[in-house]
Parts: sequence; structure tokens; C-alpha cells
Amino acid sequence: MALNEEQQAQLLRHLNGELSPAEASGVAQLLKEDAEARAFLRGVAEQAVVVADVERLAQHREPAKVVRPVFSPVKWAVAAAIILVLAGSFLFTVQSVNQGHTAEVIAIHGPNQHLGADGVTRPELAPGAMLRVGEKLRTLSSRSWVRLKLNDGSYVMLTGRSSLRMIRDESHRAFLLRYGNLWATISTPEGAKPFSVLTETARINTSNAQFDIETKFQEISVVSVDSGSVTTERLSDGSQVEVAADHQTIISMSQRRALAARRQPEPVNQWNCKMLSSPEAVFGKWLAPNANNAVRLNATPLLIGKNKTIYAANFSVRSSGSPPVMIEKGSRFRIRLTTKTADPVYVGITTKKHRGGFFGKYTEKVEGDQLGQAGKTRMIEIPVSDFVPLDKSLSPSSVGTELTDIWVVSPKESAELEIHKVEFVAREVGQ
Amino acid sequence: MAPSEQGILQRLMSQRDRISAAAWLVVRDAHIAEDIFQNVALKALAKEVAFDSDGALMSWAFITARREGIDWLRRQKNAPVSLDETILELLEAEWASESLGQAGGRSQALRDCLSELPAKSRELLKMRYFDGQRCEEVAASLNTKLDAIYKRLSRLHQALKFCIETKLTQAPS
Repeated sequence: MALNEEQQAQLLRHLNGELSPAEASGVAQLLKEDAEARAFLRGVAEQAVVVADVERLAQHREPAKVVRPVFSPVKWAVAAAIILVLAGSFLFTVQSVNQGHTAEVIAIHGPNQHLGADGVTRPELAPGAMLRVGEKLRTLSSRSWVRLKLNDGSYVMLTGRSSLRMIRDESHRAFLLRYGNLWATISTPEGAKPFSVLTETARINTSNAQFDIETKFQEISVVSVDSGSVTTERLSDGSQVEVAADHQTIISMSQRRALAARRQPEPVNQWNCKMLSSPEAVFGKWLAPNANNAVRLNATPLLIGKNKTIYAANFSVRSSGSPPVMIEKGSRFRIRLTTKTADPVYVGITTKKHRGGFFGKYTEKVEGDQLGQAGKTRMIEIPVSDFVPLDKSLSPSSVGTELTDIWVVSPKESAELEIHKVEFVAREVGQ
Repeated sequence: MAPSEQGILQRLMSQRDRISAAAWLVVRDAHIAEDIFQNVALKALAKEVAFDSDGALMSWAFITARREGIDWLRRQKNAPVSLDETILELLEAEWASESLGQAGGRSQALRDCLSELPAKSRELLKMRYFDGQRCEEVAASLNTKLDAIYKRLSRLHQALKFCIETKLTQAPS
């Protein structure tokens, strides 16, 4: 039976998530019984993804606008003189207008995925590769990073498990950060477009700033500014706030709290990830409590490349609402966990400079014999001095920097790695 | 005969719109749906599963896309209410039973039809499905009533369906 317009609208309302439970149940019944209703829904879904695909390609293909000077023979002599005088600045202007929005990969670590504007997977990015409008970069593992140089001389870094797409915007050099961590040092030359990052909850614009963003889909975006200033807009209500140096703002969809920039709190030297009370800070799969552990976070499978899967849990210091946490000599990590095999577990940390940008990633391999009897919950302690840099370009020690996140990884599914508690403990007095 | 690695990728790419659409029905976000399709392709190539036939591959791809979508929803706080799994299975079975060879033609026809839409109609679709705005936000941006947005969207979807069918009928066989 052909669907009437009212039934079609009801299906669209369902997709928009605005039906009451009773209405949703009616729609479910309609879909079970009526092949036409299912065909309509399939058609809408196909059209939705193709609309998005076509728009992405359109953004990719649209040429940069070039301003063409008007030439008048009558005014040639005057124009020639002016051109001679202004040649330098004219050439500079044309050059900057002609430059498309591109980014060059200048450093990488760990697995990444490069998707063309047409949605096709490209070879993994390597230094020297170019990222263009419409293309997407995903860093696939907690240990990954990719550093980009924009063609206005600014730098952007994507770290951890993150997804970034270059998008076309008439008035900005724009990026869409779907999830993850972005670090930026922006210095926009005169005449060039300002820089913009769009997340699920916010738009962040700046011309000159060093800042970083941590975002987790619709849940939250944390913007911290170390120098310069950025303008943040909360997308749910359009409210804006200027975030100056040494300040940060947290943007969620909820409008219950006014959007405000707050001075970055003074650092502390210890941290306890209260996992249940700050789920925004945690990546992993919650399991029901059992007799041994009330808190059980299961490491989640992450496909990090062809034939490579790891099982990871991640804990963000900043999204937990904590002040900055300084890493001091003698500090240590205390992790309560359960693993069902004698395979090693890897613990890693990301660090940033105090009131500055990305510093590095460090890791420590905990051998199976240090994890106690397989299947038994165990507390492990790892001194910060045991961590080694993931890349030779990094400083050998993370002491003196700020801790931004911790991850715990097992390479084996059979380990069924569970995390129950994560703490960063200050050095003991007299140490 | 089991499809080769190249064959798997080709088959998945030829069904990209449908697999992404199946994921979209779960997550209601075209960008996330595309991520899910990419993950499905990576998993298929990771050889974690063996496929006896094209049919087995497609069936696995739809189920994997649905599971990835549901996993993603579980991680969200304000996730949309998903359709009942039995309905999703019905939709996937109908997608899978449609002629595999027809998918490429439908996909191109849909793209052609979109390019023929008036700018206003295309902007409406862009706001809803590319920008991911809720219908209330689209109505507010266009300064119109919510009901009018549903009516316009409903007619647009129908018009596109008709346009695709016309193009497929007219296409030389």
C-alpha cells in the first residue's frame, strides 16, 4: 500500500527522534507490516548518506576564488607606476588568495588512516604527503600522532584516537574535529583567512593563538588556550565567549550553565580518575559489577591497521574535570586491573608542556609475570621514570610536564583486560 | 568461490551507499556512518572472517555495520532511539536481496538527481543530512514551521525516488 504524506512525515519525525514511546511503537508496527514504509525509510537513508557524500566532494572540488584585477588601457601609464610601487604587496596578495587550503604532513607516529574526499581509503599518510579540503585523517591508536603544517605557516597536531577533516569555509581555514585531541599553533599572516575548528558542540575561531581541544562527539569539548586568544561559540544556543591566554572553557550541548572562560587552575601533583562519576573522561566498555570489583571497565577493541587489533582503555585527565596534573620526579602510576592471560600489558601517557603545547607520548611494557596470577585482580605501580619516549625525537623524560591522558592496552583479546582504578600518585615526602 | 581481497574491496565499494545507509539508520549521522563503512572495509580486509560468497560478504557487512552503529550509540549520552533490531534486519535483508548489479546505477542516478534539484531544496537536504541539524534547527534557520520542514523533506525524498526510477528505466540496458 502506498504511504501517505502523513505516514512519511511520521517516519521522518522518528528519524528526528521526536516521537513519544507510543508513537514510536506505532511506527515500529508500520515498519514491520508495510514493505512500502521500509522502502521509504531505506530511500531516505540512502539519500541522506549520498547528500553528505556529494557535499563533501563539492567542498573538495570547489575552486578557490581568485580576484582578477580590472585593466584599463586609458589609465595604463598611471597603473604601471602604481604597479611598480605596489608590486611586492600585490604579488603577496595574489599568492595568498591563490593558495588553497592544504596541509602538509611533517611528522607521524603510530597508525593513521587517510580517507579521500570521495570516501576511498588512501595509503597511510607519511611525511611530505598533502591533505586537502574534503579529506579526512584518523589517528587510530592512543600512541599515534600526526603533525601538519598549514600553507599559512601554522601548525596543527592530531594525537591519540582522533578524526579530523579539512572542510571548505568561505571565511576560514576550517577543520572538523569529530573526536579526539587537536593541538594548534596558529599564526595567520595578514590577508589570510583565520583558522577555525568545528566540533560537535562548538566552533573555535582564531587568528593567533596556541591552544588545544579535546572533544568526544556531542558530549563535551574542552578548549585550553596557552597564548593569544580564541573565540568559542556553543552551537546549541549560539552563545560566544573569548578565551584568553591561560584560560579554558568547557562546552557541552547542555545550556544549563552559561558559557564561560575560566583561568586554568593551578596544577596539582596527584590525580584519581573517578571513573564512574566522570564517564566523559573514560574510553572503554562498562561491565556489570561482580563480587570482586564494583568498577569494571573492559578494554575496547581498536582496529589499528590491516590484521592489527589492540584492546585499549583510555583515561583523560582534563575531561575528568581535574586541574592540570604535573609530573614530578618520583611520581608513580597506580593501576588496579585484571587480565586473564600472562601476556604483557602496555601503559602509556600523553604529556603537554606546562602552559604550552603537546610535549610527547611515553610508554611502559608491564610483563605478564608482574601482573600476578592470571584472572586475579592486581594493583600495579609504575614509577614515572620507567616510561620511555615513543619516538626518538622526544625528550627522554616527561618530568616537569603536564599529564593529559593515560591508556592501558593489551594486544590480546583473550586477556579480557579490565581496569578498576587509575591513580597518579605524588612522590612521597623525603623522596 | 571465495572472493579475493581485491574482490572484497570492489564489492564493498559497489555497495557503499547501502552499507553506509544501513549504518545511518542506526546512528542518524552521515559522517559517523561513513566512519563505520570504513571500519567495515578494514575489518573485511583484516581477514578476521572468511567469506564463501558475495552474499556471505554482504550479509556480514550489513550485520557488522549495524553492530558498530549500536556500539557507537552505547557510547553516546544523547543517542537517538534506535529502531528495533528485527526491523533493521528486515531492512538489511531487503537491501541485500536487491540486485547487486543495480546498486552502481542507482547510486549514480541518485547523484544525478541531486544535482538537478533547485538550490533551495539541495540546501535543505544539506542542512539536515550533511550539517546534521535537527529538523527544529532547520526550521528555525529557515524561519519556517517544523511541519512545513517535514512536508518539504517528505516531498523531496519522494521526488528523488521518482527521479531515480525514471533514470533507471530510461537507461540503456
